[in-house]
Amino acid sequence: MRWPGRRDEHAWSQHHLSHYVEGDLSSRARRRLEMHAHECPECSRGIRAVRALLRLLHSSGDRSDLRAPAGIFDRVRVDAAHADSDAEQAHEA
Amino acid sequence: MTHLPGQRRATDAPERELVDRAQTGDVAAFEELIGAHADRLYTVVLRLVGDRGEAEDVLQETLLRAWRGIGRFQARAMIFTWLYRIAVNESNRALERRLRRGTTVQVDDEAVQVPAPAKDGPGNRAEQRELRDALELAIADLAPPYRTALVLRDLEGLSTREAAEIAGVGEAAFKSRLHEARLKVRASLGDTALVAAG
Repeated sequence: MRWPGRRDEHAWSQHHLSHYVEGDLSSRARRRLEMHAHECPECSRGIRAVRALLRLLHSSGDRSDLRAPAGIFDRVRVDAAHADSDAEQAHEA
Repeated sequence: MTHLPGQRRATDAPERELVDRAQTGDVAAFEELIGAHADRLYTVVLRLVGDRGEAEDVLQETLLRAWRGIGRFQARAMIFTWLYRIAVNESNRALERRLRRGTTVQVDDEAVQVPAPAKDGPGNRAEQRELRDALELAIADLAPPYRTALVLRDLEGLSTREAAEIAGVGEAAFKSRLHEARLKVRASLGDTALVAAG
């Protein structure tokens, strides 16, 4: 088994930053990433960036001001009636 | 009665009564049942397809399919999860049609809204606007399965289990898509801008 080099560790860590922040890594993988990030400013900043991204996404998530278009059920009723009528005609033919 | 993320549970008694009535063809009961979720359904569809006009069409098709399928709905399931799943499937169908036509996928301005910065000022507002635009573009660039994962989990705030069920995949596959989606969005926005935004 080849011992991972620094470049391998960096690529692996970069790919797993979201897993780390989400708590989806095993304790062994977590320690591995933390050891690398401790020495790697880019990965350390990457952890902060993932946390900032999640805050940004979560705070963008509240769109309780958005409303379904008025009259949407009227349109659905019309669609359903058309579909029923088409089916009846096909049955009669 | 809109159920917020984390508050949903198996169909409760008043809802079950509406389901029973809707399953016998009671249109008013169906509209009351589904109407409670229509705004959130519209929001998630708009986030997935990005365009308001198309989102309205997809919502209409979703409700029509729900009406046709309500007879097969199992009361032990959650009505919200069931509706979301239909909406996600219809949204992905619309995105596939758009892809075949070769039209660019874009997220509407309304789909994502970054809140105002704590320290408000012309400079901060411009930076927030730029970040919002970049976020919209990054989400729009995601392939449908990745966009679905990000929208359901990180924007809609659903649990991994709920979101995976709606997306129609196992939790491990869902998480893999979610992490990949975040990786792509992070790469698009850049760590420097994200860390600066705090």
